[in-house]
Amino acid sequence: MKLYLDISESFKIALGAIVANKSRGALTALGIIIGIVAVITTMTAANGLKNTFRQTFASVGSDVIYVSKRPWVQMGPGFRFRNRKDISLAASDALQQKLLGRGVVNPSIGGNKNVKYQSKILENINISGTTEKQIIVSDMVPSIGRFLMPFDIEYKKSVAVIGSEIADGLYGNSDPIGKYIKIGRNKFLVIGVMEKQGTSFFGGPNFDRQIYIPISTFGKTLGHNGGRANVNIAIKAPSQESMADFEFEVIGEMRKIRGLKPSEDDDFSINKLDTLLDAYNNMMGAVVLVGLIITSISLFVGGVGVMNIMFVSVTERTKEIGIRKAIGAKKRSILLQFLFESSIICLFGGIVGLSIAALLTKVINDMLMPASLSPSIIISALVISIVVGVVSGFVPAYRGAKLDPIEALRYE
Amino acid sequence: MSVQEQPQMINDGEMPDVILKINDVTRTYFMGDQEVNALRGITLNINKGEYVAIMGPSGSGKSTLMNTIGCLDVPTSGSYHLEGVAVNDMSEDQLAEIRNEKIGFVFQTFNLVPRVSVFQNVELPLIYKGVAKRKRREIVEKAIASVGLADRAGHKSNELSGGQRQRVAIARALVCEPSIILADEPTGNLDSKTGEEIMVLLNRLHEKGHTIILVTHEDEIAEHAHRIVRLRDGLVESDIITTTVS
Repeated sequence: MKLYLDISESFKIALGAIVANKSRGALTALGIIIGIVAVITTMTAANGLKNTFRQTFASVGSDVIYVSKRPWVQMGPGFRFRNRKDISLAASDALQQKLLGRGVVNPSIGGNKNVKYQSKILENINISGTTEKQIIVSDMVPSIGRFLMPFDIEYKKSVAVIGSEIADGLYGNSDPIGKYIKIGRNKFLVIGVMEKQGTSFFGGPNFDRQIYIPISTFGKTLGHNGGRANVNIAIKAPSQESMADFEFEVIGEMRKIRGLKPSEDDDFSINKLDTLLDAYNNMMGAVVLVGLIITSISLFVGGVGVMNIMFVSVTERTKEIGIRKAIGAKKRSILLQFLFESSIICLFGGIVGLSIAALLTKVINDMLMPASLSPSIIISALVISIVVGVVSGFVPAYRGAKLDPIEALRYE
Repeated sequence: MSVQEQPQMINDGEMPDVILKINDVTRTYFMGDQEVNALRGITLNINKGEYVAIMGPSGSGKSTLMNTIGCLDVPTSGSYHLEGVAVNDMSEDQLAEIRNEKIGFVFQTFNLVPRVSVFQNVELPLIYKGVAKRKRREIVEKAIASVGLADRAGHKSNELSGGQRQRVAIARALVCEPSIILADEPTGNLDSKTGEEIMVLLNRLHEKGHTIILVTHEDEIAEHAHRIVRLRDGLVESDIITTTVS
C-alpha cells in the first residue's frame, strides 16, 4: 500500500474518531493544555527575568572594570572581604596617575540616607558620592538640568543630581531644578534629574532611586570623614585595548598601590558585568531548570491522561480494528490511526495552551517585566505537544496494531 | 486418514482453475492449558467458479477452517495454497495483503465500520490496496450500484436495515475483485425474506463467475451451493457435488 494514502487515511480516521467523541477529546486535551501553559509560562517568565536583568545592568558598560573591596558576587565566608583594608580616594588618584591618562577612572562612595523635601520624605535612598566622570563610565545622562561638573567637586558644592523616581516622589509635577533637597541633615541644590532607566531586576539596584553628589561633599553628608570611606573605582577601558590585558594591568597597578608582596593574594576585587552575568546565568539556570522540571510534571500527568484515554479508545474499537484487519489493514495502518489520534489531541492541547500562555505572557509583560513568546518557544511548544502525543499514544496504538484479527472480530 | 484420500480427483496444479488447495491442514490451539485440535488433517481443493457450502455442527472446526481459508489464521501443520501461493508461512502483514486482494469477506454480523458512510465502508479495502482516489470512486460507485444501494451511498451504516447492511458488506467484498467470496453465515442475522434476497444476490455473483464459499449450518442456505462439504470433529465427513457446474 502506498504510504501517503496510508497516512492521509489514518489521519482522516483519527480525526473522525476525535470528532465523534468531542467532549472526551477536549477533556483529555485539558491535561496537555495545563501542562503546556505551565511549561511555556515558565519559559517566558525566565526570558522576562533575563531581559529585566539585562536592562537593569545595561548602564554597566561591558568595557568597565570596577575595583572594590568586596566582590559583587560573594563566594565563601564574608570575613575574608570584610577584614580587607578600605580602598582610599588616594588609591584611586594613584591608579589614575599610573594609567597615564589611558582609560577613565571614576571613584565613588555609596551610602544610604533618608531624603526630604518640605514634608515629603523618601527613606533609605542610595546616595553616591562621585565625580563628573560618572556619566562616562555608566551610560546614564541627565534628562533635565546638568550632571556634576569638575568645579562642583573641586569647590565641594552641595549640589545633587537625582533619579527620576526621586524627582517624582518629592516634587511631583513641579520642576525640581533649583529646589533644595535635604540629604540626612544637609541641604543640597538639585541641579539635574537623571534619565528614567525603567524596570529594575528584583533585588538589583534601582538607578531611578539614586542621588549623585560630589564625592568631596560625601564625607560630611554621610557623617564619616573622607579618608576612611571605602571607595569603588570604576575604570572605563580605552577602546583600542583588549579588556583582559587592561584588567591585568589594573590588577598589577593596584597591587603596587596597595603595597602587596608577590606572595600575597589580592586584597581587592575586580568586578565586571561578565561577573554579574555569569552569576546570573548560574543562579537562574538552576532556578529555571527546577521550574521546568516541576512544570514538566504537569505535562507528564497530561500525557498519562492521554495514554489512558487511548487505551479506552483502542479497547472500544477492538471490533473495528478486527474489521479493518480482515479487509486488509496492516499493523502500520492501525498504529498510525491511533498515533494520529493521540497526536491530534495533544497538538490541539498544545495550540490552546500556547494561546493561553500568550495571554498570560501579555499580562506578565504589562504588569511585571518585559516578556514575550519567541518563535523558538512557540515551535518547541508545538513540537513538545506532538512528542507527548506520540509517546503517550504509542503503547495503546501498538496494542491495537498487534491485535489478533480473529479475536478482535469476535469482540463485542 | 482414509477419509482424506478419497475426495475430488484434481490433477495437481495442472488444471488452471484450481483456486484453493488445502493439504492435510491441522490447527491446534490452547484454551487455558487444554489443547484443542480444531482441524485434524483437512484436505480440500476448490476450483475457480465453484459455489461451495461448508457445513457442520458447532465444534466441527468449521469456523477454524473458514478463518484459515480467509487467511485470518494459519495452519499448525499442512499447506494451504491460494491461487498457487503458499499462505501457511506468511507474516501477519503479508496475510493482510492477501486478505485485501484475494478474499472478500461477508460476515454474519455485517461488520461494517460504524460512524462512516456506505461509500466509505465500501471504499476501505481499496484504500488499503492503495488505489488512487479517482479510480476508487469509480469502482465503489459501480459496486454500490450492483447491490442496488446507489441511492444510499451517503448514509451511515447505522441508518440502514440489516439486509441493506449485508448488501454493503457484499459490495465491500467485491471491490478488490477477490479470488474468493467467503460468506460466513451471511443470512444468520436476517429474517428469512431478507436472507433469501441476499442469497439471490450471492447466486447472481456466482453466475457472473465468482468463486463463493459459504459457511452455514442451515440446509436451506446450503442448497444454493453446488457442492457441500460437511465437517465433523475437525475432519471432512463428506464432500458432495449436488449440481454440476457448467
